[in-house]
Amino acid sequence: MTWEPKIVYIMCSWCGSGGAESASAYGLKYPENIKPFRVWCTGGLDPAYILRAFLEGADGILISGCHPGDCHYDTGNYFARRRLAALKTILKTFGFDEDRVWLRWVGHSEGKRLVDTAIEFNEHIKKLGPNKI
Amino acid sequence: MTANQGKSTVLVYGTNMSGYRTIYALGKLGYKTILLNRGKYVDEVKNQVLSQLPLDLCWACAFGPQRMFVGLGALNVFYSADILEIKGTPGNYKVKIKKKDPYVNNFICTECNKCVEVCPEGAIEVMPKVFWENIYLINEEKCTKCGKCEEICPTGALKLDKKEEELEVEVAGIVLSPEYVDVDKGDLEKFGYKVFKNVLKNSDIVRGNIPTSFVLNSLKRRSDGKLPQKIAIIVTPQYNNIEYEDFNTTNIAVYRAVRIKELHPSADVTIFMRNYRGFGKGAYKIYERAKEIGVKIIKADDVYLNELENNDLEITYKLAGKQNKENYEFVILVTGQKAPIEEVKKFEKLCKIKGDNHGFCYIEPFTNNKTNIPGIYAGGEFTGPRGNPETVWEGYDIAQDILDFLGKPVVSPPQPPPFRDVSKEEVKIGVFLCSCFGKFNDKIDIERLKDEASKIPYVTHVEILNGACTPQTIQENAKKIRESGVNRVILAVCTPLQKLMKFRKTVMMGGLNPLLAEFLRLREDVVNVHEDKEKKLEKALSLIRAAALKLKYALPFPGASDKFHGKAFVIGGGVAGMEAAIRLAKRGVQVTLIEKSDSLGGIAYRLDSDIEGRDLKKFIESQIKEIKRNENIKVYLNSEVDSIKGYAGNFKIIFSENKKITHIEDAGVIFIATGAKIREVSSYFYGKNPNIYTQLDMEKAINEGKFSAKSVVMIQCVGSRNKAYPYCSRICCSQALKNALRLREKGVEVTILYRDLKLYGFKEDYYKEAVNKGVNFIRFYDDNYPKAGQTENGFKITVKEYGTDEEKAINCDALVLSVGIRPDIETNKKLSQMTGIKLFENGFFAISPGPFEEAAKKLMKPFELQTNGVFPIGMALSPRTVDESLLTARQAVGQSLIFLKKQRLPAPNGVFVSEVDESKCVGCGYCVEVCPYNARSIDEVKKKAVVHPFLCDSCGACVVACPSGAAFIRDLQDKQVIASIDALLG
Repeated sequence: MTWEPKIVYIMCSWCGSGGAESASAYGLKYPENIKPFRVWCTGGLDPAYILRAFLEGADGILISGCHPGDCHYDTGNYFARRRLAALKTILKTFGFDEDRVWLRWVGHSEGKRLVDTAIEFNEHIKKLGPNKI
Repeated sequence: MTANQGKSTVLVYGTNMSGYRTIYALGKLGYKTILLNRGKYVDEVKNQVLSQLPLDLCWACAFGPQRMFVGLGALNVFYSADILEIKGTPGNYKVKIKKKDPYVNNFICTECNKCVEVCPEGAIEVMPKVFWENIYLINEEKCTKCGKCEEICPTGALKLDKKEEELEVEVAGIVLSPEYVDVDKGDLEKFGYKVFKNVLKNSDIVRGNIPTSFVLNSLKRRSDGKLPQKIAIIVTPQYNNIEYEDFNTTNIAVYRAVRIKELHPSADVTIFMRNYRGFGKGAYKIYERAKEIGVKIIKADDVYLNELENNDLEITYKLAGKQNKENYEFVILVTGQKAPIEEVKKFEKLCKIKGDNHGFCYIEPFTNNKTNIPGIYAGGEFTGPRGNPETVWEGYDIAQDILDFLGKPVVSPPQPPPFRDVSKEEVKIGVFLCSCFGKFNDKIDIERLKDEASKIPYVTHVEILNGACTPQTIQENAKKIRESGVNRVILAVCTPLQKLMKFRKTVMMGGLNPLLAEFLRLREDVVNVHEDKEKKLEKALSLIRAAALKLKYALPFPGASDKFHGKAFVIGGGVAGMEAAIRLAKRGVQVTLIEKSDSLGGIAYRLDSDIEGRDLKKFIESQIKEIKRNENIKVYLNSEVDSIKGYAGNFKIIFSENKKITHIEDAGVIFIATGAKIREVSSYFYGKNPNIYTQLDMEKAINEGKFSAKSVVMIQCVGSRNKAYPYCSRICCSQALKNALRLREKGVEVTILYRDLKLYGFKEDYYKEAVNKGVNFIRFYDDNYPKAGQTENGFKITVKEYGTDEEKAINCDALVLSVGIRPDIETNKKLSQMTGIKLFENGFFAISPGPFEEAAKKLMKPFELQTNGVFPIGMALSPRTVDESLLTARQAVGQSLIFLKKQRLPAPNGVFVSEVDESKCVGCGYCVEVCPYNARSIDEVKKKAVVHPFLCDSCGACVVACPSGAAFIRDLQDKQVIASIDALLG
């Protein structure tokens, strides 16, 4: 059987999840190995969960929240952006490929963007190969 | 008429946003509304939201209230509807209407598509995919009424027996909020719209963007699909007499230009406009940014288009009298709106409302919504060119005004049934799989999913549901939950964003706390988005496993409520502050109003009339009289706030009178109406020569008969729109024109030197009048202000004219400077620190991060308490005219009335609030800093964090910020997240 990456797609409850719903309304398709996990806001996502997911064998983590300036909670997505930047530096320091985490904004209506992101990320992780931890 | 005799229903005509917002506010206040939609479905008649959208967002949430209030029985929507007759008296109107119910009831349609498949005539159409749902319509021309679709419809949503019917409704008041009249081919002939291939309206682009956001593809030339390099954006209302422009139109053009440059940096983008009319705050920043990144802005006097052979466009424009020509590859038109002449005529006949001289609905002076007929209100684009934020604000304004005619509230949300105490039971999870009325059966092996799911740990019961969203299935499912004896529920269904209330209701009726349930999106995350059945099954199972582990640790919670003081505190006794106090007092709210100076009236009281010639003094005097008369209002002059403690519903304000007597007041809400100040001038020998005036000085001199100059030069934007004050004061252009016209009557020579004339809406008329009456206008460059020299008998002004670059010299006796306003920075800073409402760097209160977001945020939950019960209004918010200041005050009153009358309020976010594990909390205060809602504070005695459930919206910012793991959200605790993600990876 060919190897399929294990990917968790963390979405905020408003824009990210909304994007997933738009994708479904438009009947757009993306790979099955991408599993959604809903948080209230990307700003409420502890980077520790991401580290833990990598330790548990995740090959990639994709995160989608509201576009800048558009956060349901005003500033949560800015927090997320800063945290992710810090996390990536840490991952890099440990010699871990920081490109296994992506943060990409998806608006409620942007079903197409969500699906494109999912497909692109899946291909990207396939190229990187399995997580070696 | 006493209030209690009135009817409790309001009729809203048209689907403009102000109408929607009135419905929302009245619904929350407990009143019923009837919405007449002339279209066959929700947005068939396009309203401003989706067609004049500045941003590339969808704003579908503007229609959100509709679903909620229909569900509560507070709103009745009639489609294909119209008004036939209006009889009766204010508070008691009898309205004859016609309507035709849609064939497909969208509230129970599950979009299974079976009707489309079965129809032999292909008469069922699916529209319009704007939101996240599709709307099913029957094309009457093709339909033979064979009945096959009705037979096959699994939910009974489709019924063919719908006919047009007439009925009479009795309502207390009527709100006219028809949609704006868009411009089309004929109106845009001059610009070749729909004739030249590469000319598009901005709204076309926006609509096209909705599924993807703005992308390069949106810019491709329609003639050959190539990406254009030279793009022109034209603000058409400034060149087209039949169109009207709101204040936002030029902003939209600039925003579009910036977006294009961001995506396509090598493109050459030029905006053609006569005047830039964005004002205040962030708008001007975007304008500056546009110039920085190389957007060219040509302030041309006249523009028309020609198509060339290769479908390029030749733009001919006039600049300071000279003709110029340039070729472009692609042209975007930023359009305005037309006057709703037909609609106004219709209502002139139906209910004798008046139109104004532009063909819009007439509004009484110093009101924002009152027609000449009591009990009939008009809002939004029906009353004049409007931007999106005002339209929403007018909705709140109408809601608080129409209460005059309304009786007792009649709608209250239903009480949830008592919940079962499950704390002593072992975890027993029930999995309920929705088959969407059989639609999922051939897309996923639901029987096998049932078998596999029953093997998951803690799952004791698995059942397949027929459906989960129709009233009947909700009842059945609740019964199933109760009978199965489980104490945790996984509902594998579809979109909670749309149907959350229904699912929650199901669980609650099943006797369980909603925190003991998980709603999986079987449709969105599995069924609709994948192809492979086997893999779908696997994914569905892993989602159920993750949900089961999350539920294992679920914490039920009854939901919090908090007391609410029904009093209001107003800071500032200017027009806006007084208006807020009067309106609140009228609804029986106790108001305390404090004013820093020794008299009421504020800055507007120093003006005698506005450009429309209305008597401002008289209006303000009537306000002052009412403030003094009304026993619900306590006024303190010479008073300043010392401290503000607390949060919405529970403020404690300490203020001192005459710097001596200290008072303490409780209040539920605070209005900040600190107003603005006339900006100090230091340039142009001001203060050193008696013949140099500000506009206000001159008005005073004229009134006192001390003004004798025979020639006057006015310079606009003195000290404005620069680095220190990067905003437009919004009032000086009309003030200058008003004074210029007045001086011309006395035969005085007037020259106005300006950068942009910001006369949006109907004020443009006065510009035309001024030109006709011989006022001389010269435009100068933004960075090259006119120079003034003193001569023996006056001044010599030299100015480099925009467009021609000619140096012109003008001699005059008096020099008048339009200096604009500045916020009361010292007071605002102090109040900002006390209330936590942020200030813009220029000193105005910021209620959200940008000019467009401000509008968008207004539409989203949690509107009323977003600012924690503090409402900056009037010029504390941004520079405004008197009417606009009044509108901000009235809309804030409308918002606050929604909760001021309630003694206790449930936490707006219900059961999902963050919590503190006191055993872990060290009281460091990191969570307090990150909380966007000021929902957290540190208990001074215990040194532990405290959450005000009333303010928390459960975003989780505190959870991540907490260094000791003490902060958590009830439905996303650490162990829940970790267990769930592990399960997803398993």
